[in-house]
Parts: sequence; C-alpha cells; structure tokens
Amino acid sequence: MSGRPDIDVSRLTGRTGRQFWRTLREHANLDEAIETEFAAAFEGLSDRGRRELLKVMGASLALLGVAGCSQQGDVRALPYVTQPESETPDRPKHYATAVIMAGWAQPVVGTTHVGRPTKLEGNPNHPASGGATDAFTQAAILGLYDPNRSQGPRFQGRPAAWSAFDDAMVENAARLNARQGEGFRILTGASTSPTLARQLTEMMQRWPKAHWHVFEPFDDGLRLEASRLAFGRPLERRLNLDRAEVIVSLDDDLLGPGPRQTLNARQWSVRRRAFQAGQGQARLYVAEPTPSLIGAMASDRLIAAHSRIPVLTQALALALGDGGATVTLTAREQQWVERAARDLKAATGKALVSVGAQHAPEVQALGVALNSRIGALGHTIGFAEPSTLTPPDGAQSLSALVRDLDAGAVDTLLILDANPVFMAPADFAFARAMEKARLRVHAGLHYDETASHSHWHAPIQHALESWTDVRAVEGTASIVQPLVRPFYDVRSAHGLLEDAQGRLGQIDHELVQATWRAAWGGSFDESWRRALLDGLVANSASPEVAVSVGNVATPAPTASPTGVEILFRPDPSLWDGRFANNPWLQELPKPLNKITWDNVIAISPALARELNLESGIDHGDMVRIDAAGRSIEGPVWITPGQAANSVTVFTGYGRTLPGQLGDGHGFNAYPLRTSTAPFVITGAKLTRIGGRRLLACTQDHTALRGFDFVRTVPAAQARRERLEPPIHEPSLYPDVRYKGPSWGMSVDTDVCIGCNACVTGCDAENNVPMVGKDQVAKGRQMHWLRIDHYFEGEPEEPKLYFQPVPCMHCEKAPCEMGCPVGATVHSPDGLNLQVYNRCIGTRTCSSYCPYKVRRFNWFDFTGKDSPELQAARNPDVTVRSRGVMEKCTYCIQRIRETSITAELEGRPVKDGEIRTACQQACPTNAIVFGDVMNPESEVSRRKRSARDYTLLEEVNTRPRTTYLARIDDEEGG
Amino acid sequence: MRRAQKSAIVPARWRPVTDEITRIPLQHPQTRNWWICFAIAASLLLLYVVSAGVLFWKGVGVWGNNIPVNWGIAISNYIWWLGLGHAGTLISAMLLLLGQKWRNSLNRFAEAMTLFAVVCAGLYPILHLGRPWYFYWMAPYPSTMGVWPQFRSPLTWDFFAVLTYLIVSVLFWYIGIVPDLASVRDRAKNPLAQILYGLFALGWRGASRHWARWQKSYRLTAAIAVPLVVSVHSEVSLLLAAGPLAGWNSTVFPPYFVLGAAFSGFAVVAMIAVVLRHAFALQNLVTERHLDLLGLFILATGMMTSYGYASEIFNALYSGEPFDLNTLSARMTGRYAWVYWGAIVFNFVSIQLLWVRRFRINPWSLFFVGLAVAVGMWLERYMLVATSLYRDFLVSSWRHYHASFWEWSLYLGSLGLFFTPFLLFIRYLPMISSFEIKETIVEEPAHG
Repeated sequence: MSGRPDIDVSRLTGRTGRQFWRTLREHANLDEAIETEFAAAFEGLSDRGRRELLKVMGASLALLGVAGCSQQGDVRALPYVTQPESETPDRPKHYATAVIMAGWAQPVVGTTHVGRPTKLEGNPNHPASGGATDAFTQAAILGLYDPNRSQGPRFQGRPAAWSAFDDAMVENAARLNARQGEGFRILTGASTSPTLARQLTEMMQRWPKAHWHVFEPFDDGLRLEASRLAFGRPLERRLNLDRAEVIVSLDDDLLGPGPRQTLNARQWSVRRRAFQAGQGQARLYVAEPTPSLIGAMASDRLIAAHSRIPVLTQALALALGDGGATVTLTAREQQWVERAARDLKAATGKALVSVGAQHAPEVQALGVALNSRIGALGHTIGFAEPSTLTPPDGAQSLSALVRDLDAGAVDTLLILDANPVFMAPADFAFARAMEKARLRVHAGLHYDETASHSHWHAPIQHALESWTDVRAVEGTASIVQPLVRPFYDVRSAHGLLEDAQGRLGQIDHELVQATWRAAWGGSFDESWRRALLDGLVANSASPEVAVSVGNVATPAPTASPTGVEILFRPDPSLWDGRFANNPWLQELPKPLNKITWDNVIAISPALARELNLESGIDHGDMVRIDAAGRSIEGPVWITPGQAANSVTVFTGYGRTLPGQLGDGHGFNAYPLRTSTAPFVITGAKLTRIGGRRLLACTQDHTALRGFDFVRTVPAAQARRERLEPPIHEPSLYPDVRYKGPSWGMSVDTDVCIGCNACVTGCDAENNVPMVGKDQVAKGRQMHWLRIDHYFEGEPEEPKLYFQPVPCMHCEKAPCEMGCPVGATVHSPDGLNLQVYNRCIGTRTCSSYCPYKVRRFNWFDFTGKDSPELQAARNPDVTVRSRGVMEKCTYCIQRIRETSITAELEGRPVKDGEIRTACQQACPTNAIVFGDVMNPESEVSRRKRSARDYTLLEEVNTRPRTTYLARIDDEEGG
Repeated sequence: MRRAQKSAIVPARWRPVTDEITRIPLQHPQTRNWWICFAIAASLLLLYVVSAGVLFWKGVGVWGNNIPVNWGIAISNYIWWLGLGHAGTLISAMLLLLGQKWRNSLNRFAEAMTLFAVVCAGLYPILHLGRPWYFYWMAPYPSTMGVWPQFRSPLTWDFFAVLTYLIVSVLFWYIGIVPDLASVRDRAKNPLAQILYGLFALGWRGASRHWARWQKSYRLTAAIAVPLVVSVHSEVSLLLAAGPLAGWNSTVFPPYFVLGAAFSGFAVVAMIAVVLRHAFALQNLVTERHLDLLGLFILATGMMTSYGYASEIFNALYSGEPFDLNTLSARMTGRYAWVYWGAIVFNFVSIQLLWVRRFRINPWSLFFVGLAVAVGMWLERYMLVATSLYRDFLVSSWRHYHASFWEWSLYLGSLGLFFTPFLLFIRYLPMISSFEIKETIVEEPAHG
C-alpha cells in the first residue's frame, strides 16, 4: 500500500467515525482512489466486474469507519466485541472535563450516551461552577457536532493531506532551526493552559529568536494594567460577590455574559438569597450607559454615559473622603453618588466597587484604590498572579506583531485558534499585514476569515474531543479530557504547535501529562486519576497575594465630549463572533432586546427622536455610523434605558464564512473598532440611510403596560409566609386527587438575571429544533422555555425585569379541555403531558393557552438534520415530527428515570433529586422543582412565601409553575 | 300586475311551470355564459387543489399562522362557509314546517348552496391540521389502541356536528328533488339522460302512496334539520367561546353565531336568487315578493347580529376586566381595526337600506346589500378569530398575523369548490322545486 496518492487521503480524511457516512453513494467517490491503489486487482476484469469490485471495496472501506487514518493512537479506544458487564447502552456515562471560553475553563460534567456526548452540566465540585453553567457552555455540545467545522487540512483553500502538511512543517522547521527560529511567530487567543505555557517556554529555549503574541478582542488587558498602576505589578482580580452586601458597579456588567458570568452570578445570588432571608443587605448600585444584566438587577440604576463614569468614580472617591479634583454632577448623579457612598461606608469590609474593564486603567485603578479605602481588599476582592499567559510584549502584543509583519520581519506565522483577520482592530489592517509573512499557517475550528488568508489551514479539535488543560476564572486548573474520539480528521492545538516546530507525532495526552508530571512529581498516576475524576486539580489556583495600593494618580479630568459616543460590546449570544456557527446561540434571544440571528445598533429613545426614527414595534431602520474616518452600517434598535447620546454596537456578526451557518448574519462592527479606541469612540455621527432590515425578534412588545405579570414586593413584606392560600375560583371539572408525588416549580424573579443559560440548557436536553431567522420573524421559534423581558415606566429611565416562562402545567388546563384527540392529558403526578404521536395538530391547545408556551412544528424542522446534528440529540427525548405540538415537559425523562431508580431501590424520590435542565443550568438557583405534595420540599417552602404569586391567576388555570416576586429595594421607590 | 300578484305567489299559469323548470337541465338556455362561468369556477377549483397540494406537501407552515395566532383565515373561512349554508336549511326546512309556501321558489337552490357550502367549510378544519392524514382520529371509531376522541373538546363535537349536518343536508336535498327528477326523466329525449335521471328518481311514479311516504320522510328530515342549524353553529361558536381568551370567552357566542350565520346565508341566497332569476328568466317563479321577504330576513337577522356586537362592547366595558378592555381596544384601534370597522359598515350600515321596500324589491340593491353582508360577515369572522389571538394575555406573546399567498389562494380556490358543483347543479338538475310551486298555486287561493 505504498505510494498512496494524495487525493485518496484527502477524501478519506474528511470524515472519520461511523456516524458520518451519509450514503454509500458518497463513498463511491472513493472509486477513483481505490482503482489507482489496487490497479492490479482490476486488470483483466470486464467493465461490469470492475464495478462490482469497486462497490465491494468501497463498502468495506466504509465499514471500517475509515478509522485507520487517525494519527493519534488512542490506547484505550477499543470496540465492544462482547458487552462488558458495566456497560449497558441505555445508561449514560459521565465524565468531568471543561470547555473553554476566551481562554478560561468552564468546568463541566459531560454526559455520553453510547459514546456520544449529549449534554454538559456544570461540575458541582468545581468552585467556579458549583453545578451551573452559562449559555455558551450549554451550547458547546453543539459546537462539537457542528457540520461546518473544518474536517481536514487545506492548502491554499483546497483540501490537502496531513502528510503534505507534515512535510511542509518539517521542511520549514529545518530552515528555522538553522536561524534559531528567527522570523517564527505564533499568535494565539487568550489562554490559561499550563501545557501551552510549557510548550511555549520550551519553544523559546529551542528557538530563542522566535516570538509569540496573544490577541483576544475582549480580554482583561486594561484590568491588568490598572492593577499595575495600583500595585506596581499586573495582578488578576478575584471577586467574592457572596460577601458583598453593597456593590457599586461603575459600568461593569459583573453578571453579564462572559467567562466570569457563572461564578459571579452564583456568588451574587448567594448574597441576594441571604438578604431575602433577612441576613444583611444586598444593595446594588449601577451606573451604566447601556442596559445590562447587572443594571436590570440594580437597586439604584443610574443612566450615565461612558464619559461620565470617570467623573462618577472621582465623585465617589471624594464622597468617601479621598482627595482629588472636584467634579460637577447633575442632581440625579449627586443623589446616586451620595447614596452609594453612604452604603459603602456603612458596609466596610462587606462592600465592593467595580469599574468596567473597558474603562481607562487610571479610572479602574482609582476603583481599586476605593476598594482599599472601604476595606474590601482581602474580603470582597482579592488579587493573585494572573492565570492568563502573558506574552513578552504584554498588552501591545498584537501591535508588535503587526509592526514586525509590516517590517517584513516575519517569516512564518502560526495562528493558533484565533481569528485576527475578522476581529483585529481595523487600523491594523491585519489581513494586509499578514500577507507579508512568507508562510502563514492557521489552526482553528473553522475555515474562517483568517484561514482564507493563510497558506495552510489545519483543523483543530473541539475541547470536548481533546486533551488539554485550562484554568477557571478563580484560578483552579482542570485537565480537559476528551468525551469522544475526534469525528473529523483534526489535531489538537498542542500537537500542531509541536508539528510547526517539526516535532511530529506527539501524543496529546502525553503532552499534557508532561506538564503535570513536572508539577506533581512522585504520585503522578494517582493525582492524574484524581484530577480526571474530579474535573479539577485541587489547590492549583494561584494564591491571593497581599497587596497594598500605592499612590494612585487621580485620572486627568477629560473634556466632556460632544456628539455621540459609540460603545463596543461583545454580543450576548455570539460573543466576539466565535459562536457564529452555533444555531442554538444564533437563535438565542438576546436578554435585553430578544433579537435572534442579528446584531443591532442600540440607541436611546431620545436619539431616535433626534434622528426622526419612529419609536414603535418596527425597529430596524438602517443607519450609518461615521467616526474617525471609518463607517459601518446597521439597523437601529430603540433601547429603553440607554443613555441619551450613547450608542452600543455589538460585535460578532457580519462574518464571511461562505457555505457556513454563520455567514452573512447581521453587520460587522469591527471595521469601526481601532487599537486606540477599542471600547469607545466619541464624536461619532449617525445618519439615517433609508431602508429597513427585518429583525427576527421573539418578543415584539416589552412595555409592561400596567399589567402585573412581574410583581414586586417591599422588602419588609418579602420575608413573611403567605397569609392566605392562592385563590381558586370554582371549576366545572372535578379536582384530581394525588396519591404520590405531584410536581411543581417555583421561579424566583428576584434572582433571575435573564442570562439564557436555562434556555440553552433546555434546547440541549430536549432536542429543541432551531428554525432559522425567517421562521423566528414569523413567530415560530421553538424554545420550550422563554425569558420574557419587560420594562416599566418611562423608556428613558425604565425598570427592567426578566421572567422565565416554561409550561405552567396547569391543574385546570385549558389545553387539555380543548384537544379533540386527547393528545394533551394530565398525568397521575400532575404533569400536563403532550402525546406527540397522538397529536394531529389542531393547535387548539395553543390557542387556548393563556401563557402561549406551546410550540408547533409548522414544518418538518428535524427530518433534514445532518447526521452530525442527529448524533448530538438526547436519546431519552422524542424528536418531534412535522405538524405536532410540543412544549415544556418539566424534563419528564429525568422525572421518570429518577422515579424508576427510586422505585427499584424501594424508597421515595428525595427532594432535589430530580433537577430539570433549566434548574440545573441556572447559576443563581432561580428555578426550583420538586414535589408540591410534600410540605417539606424546597419548592413547597418557596410556594409558602409571601412573595409567591401565580401568573394570570384570574384565568383560574391553577398553574404548578409559580413565581416569587422581586423584592423592591429601590430607595424611595 | 305588481298589486295583483301580491296575493298570489306565482301567476296562475301552473301547467307550464314544470316545463319551464325542467327545460333547463334538458336544453340549457345559457350555454355560452354557463361555460364561461364554469371555466372560471373550474380554474378556481384547480387553484384549490394546487393550494391544498402545496399545503400537504410542505406543511401548514406555508400559511402565515404563528404562535399566538394559531388560527387564521382557515378557521374564519370555516365559520363563514358554514354560516352561509345555514340559510338554505332555514329556508327549506324551517319555512316548510312553518307552512310558509313562498319558500318553494327558493328552497331547492338554497339547499344546494347549503350542501356545497358545508363541503367548503368541512374541508377547512381538515386542511388546517398539522397532520391532516389523521383527521379521522376525531371520530369515535373502534381503534385497536382503545383510544377515543376527547369528549370535552368543542372540536370533537364540531366534527360530529358538521358531519351530521352534511348527511342530513344531503338527505333533505335529495329527498326533495326526487319527484322533480322523475319529471325530468319523463321529459328527457336522450336515452342516457333517461337512464341517469331515472336511476336517481328511484322509480318515482307519482302514486298517492309515494306522495304520502314522501311527505312523511321530507317533513321528518326537515324536523331533524332545523335544530341542527342551531346546534351546529352554536357548537362552532364554542370552538372560540370555550377558550379562556378575552373576546372569545362569552356566553353570547352561540346565539350570536347562529344569527350571524342565518344573516350571511340569507344574504347569499338573495344574491343567488337575483342572479338566477335574471340569467334564466325566472321572474315568474322568483317574484318581487320573494326578494322583499329575503330583504326583510336580512334586515331582521342583521339587526340581531348587530345586537351581538353591541353586547360584546357592553360586556367588555361592564366587566372592566383589563384583558377584555384590551381586546376591545385592539379590535377598534389596533392593527386590524379596518376589519372591525369594515364589519360594522358592511353588516350594520349597509342593511339600513332595507328598511325601504323599494331597495328590497330592486334586484340590484338587494344584490349589493347581499354582497356587502357576505363580505362583512367574512370580516367579522376574521375579526373574531384573529384579533382575540394576536393580543392575548401576556404582552410578551403578542404578535401580528399576515395571511400568506397560499391562504388566500386556498380561499379563492374554495370559491371554485363552491361554484363548480353549483354550476353543475343548475345545469343538470331542476334548480327550483316545480311540484312544490304547483302545490302552492293549487293551495294558495284556499289560503288566500
């Protein structure tokens, strides 16, 4: 089998693993290759005989699963010949590992069914997760199965063989060896991987003249710089929001999307819950230019332009007794600062001031100094050596690379899991600069914008199929272990880094082990096993260091800017654009405007009036933003609670990924973003350019209009038990008597931050189909759980609310009465069931549903799913066909599984033993599920609270899902 | 002539009556016009078949429905078509039982209209299903799985009601036409026509015993049919009224729907009567008095329907429930306000003309009022279905609805489904009951 032609390998390398044969016909493409390879076998055969032989050989190759092409020999990957006793195909297995978000670990426990990973849950033993996740982590499972992922190496855009790649790398490395690596550059995204750090260190020893750079569009660069100003060295900040009774956020969305969301939200909710129980305070002062998740939860939210934040920080410093220049404030700002300062002083050691990472280091440093003043250091906030790998040029890393590229000093550029062509600051003109490198190698999950400007594109493994290590935001390291062997012919980032140095054939898990062998010394095997089982390396976080704030210079007062300021924010669903190919995230309604599949330019109602845009349901008028000689065009969205002259643009959309799912949605905001103004541009101009973009929004109306769907109670009343049972109007139908457990849910709107983790968790657990932008625009999204967002009051200064709405599982359900064929019925444990195979699709149930939680399969949304996506499905949940109604089931598959287990063990189901997918994902424990017949269950306790209320109680549906009212801790409000 | 005829419903030349009616199926006076009409109707029928084919192939998503507007013009058309049908039954059966002999000029084609309207209506609920091929699951058939329809659901009863109504309407119409089929048979020259009319005339010889039995069965079927009008449309109204939505959940719905149905039905009967009497020169059989009476019926049922509108407004205001007020304001001022006000103008304002006799007996004015009412009642059904759904309880689920091309094409096509068999009926069957008219002429002086 020598002399295998290239074409053969490239066809084979595209797909490995048995799930991904589409048809045998497709494998017939192999015919040509087989014929070349086994030319002897064809000699003397008639045409018909030749065909037969081809068919047989093609089929047998296909049956092999084409597994022989994998470079990595996984020692433990053996097929079952006889069924091992511990293995039953219907029992899922769980592995602790982590997925990676912007370089940080999101610790998870992955569930696999017969070898297929199907669901990720937070790792309950990991301090950064506590069992919860964010939306990105929930969606990572779909990223693994993404059919648009790069499935084999490419050279100049055309499929190529790994062997050719290897040859090119070896040859290049030999050349570089002679020059001590001069001209060799690596550009990575942010990383906390100890193994990558070790590899880079070793590389620098081998090739001292090589260089490495880091680029991350939204990183902590300015925060580290601020800590250098405050302490004299860059340190990473660690928050303990669970101890912070008073938080003052100066434009810092602590609860917003990002790698720290899960930890921050969980800690904040711990504090908030203690406050609910009457233990201390949980006051939250937020000043911000654009509505955010923390702003929605604020006790006192001040709408302040970006340019006012330094002023407010200085004012706060003055109010707390620091010196510095005096500032002039408006009456409202004065009131906010006074109240915040008063509460900060009163809560010494239990308070926190946080300035957003997008603000100038001087302003952030002043924030750090304020924390020192209020005794927060070491209590609510600590500092430690950074976990992120810091490149030699620090924050100037990318600009140093571009400078060298322009100077022609770069010979070989290896871009490892980063997409600078799309995301780099516009003034760098990175695509043009990188053309100057002699050899450009891109390693990434997708054939993206950067890949198309590279000579070589090497596909890398998804975190769930690779060996690596990574640190979580609180410092603890995790070993990332694969849940599955790679589907496609891909390599690990670690392996590719070695390949690029000409060191072929490194085994991934040995690379990772080598790092930890050095760290652990003697008891390696036991520690390794422990780390894999636990999903974390115990005590691996860098310790907090004792710090004292040096002399922090008061930031120079900036002239009050004129015109409009443009704020750049990562998109809550796509972040910097990396998730553009993930339909769960594309179709995830953004928390504060409920838009899917698009990004918008958020403008204030006042600015809309100025631009002569009509406020109303039809947002989407196109405008052009001109600033500093650059311009972008996009649809506006009139956003209640936006500062009058602040305009927020969200990055991550407008990607050019021909043939891929993420291609062409929204507009690209990066062309306006420069290295000198990465977070804000002042003096911009907005012009209406005519035209309108259709935006697929899942909630057309967000004004509460005086309805009581979300309720608030004063803190004084919140802690009581409810005095009277809920009102039950008479019903024509007899009440059901329950013998066993009867399920119910309680959703605490006081801690729901609207983060969407539950929605994505539900998508993953229940095989919820995604329908695409045009169907969402028609009102046909399929989410079983939605988060309603409302604002109350004037659009200029609104109160913001979130309300997750799953099925209410009504005791007197109108849907059950309406269905002519009995496809929706009441179960003996109180559930409102939907029987898919009985449903004929009259949609009466949905018409009668007061909560409109039912979803209808208007088309066949699932039948055409690619084999990859089919493999991602939860086998415990039916995939619904065209023409049937579906809805939240309270995760009935989990209820039944646990009930059956309990029955086999001869015991009742324990409280908290069954957790719905939304409950499990929720970082703030806003959702509790359990037996409402058991007065001692958590859900029953919650339902006895005075805060408990029923949505649309007057309709007399007697829902099993009830809500806890938000505690109104607004002063004088 | 006008004054003289007022007492006699038909002129006293009753011998040629049968000839006048039966000549139409046998010779057909308006061949060219009929073919033009038939071509249009058949094209619309083809459009119906195509629209239904697209619907079945791709799924109900080709329509504009969404959550919350699960039901759109498919359901409003269903209610509308069924309502049109009711006038036929009322004219034929109720007036028969009440001994109103003037109905004899109108009953046959009114019944035919009922029949085809019920077919148009009855197909809609099946077409709108997500999985239409399982529509029979609504029937209580002995399933091997032991599952039954869900008897609390108004849809189950809808299914029974429409099916019963269709069967009774067919029987009533067919029983009524048997003696006339025999007349056509006797006059037919063409052997094929003799055989076919003869077969369906069931060997009718006009014997006294035949007439005696015919009278019994015809009146018995009529007695069954009359309560069906009330029960079927009451049942249809429960489709909406049984739901908890504001604008639906109201006890006024059953009478409101039945009267609205009769109202729209009389309007369409008036239109058809005007057209047929003109096209086939039947002024002697369908006289001005008939037009006058139809006009009065339209006026009466129209005012009762308007009472329903008034009572809806009153109920919402009197209850003071925020959701009811919200729906009322959405109807009057929301996105679909033109539907509401269109219904008011066409259904209430237009019929005020009919207080004047001159407008009732003028075929033109009666035709246009009938047309206005047919349109107005369509708008009313649309208003009832869509405006309650598009703004229901939670503000977060409010959403608009736009009927898609395939919904409109199906609706236009359903006109073809109605007119194609109707044109065949007026071409090949005696469209007016000749023997009943003769009976009127004979008996009238005695009553006169």
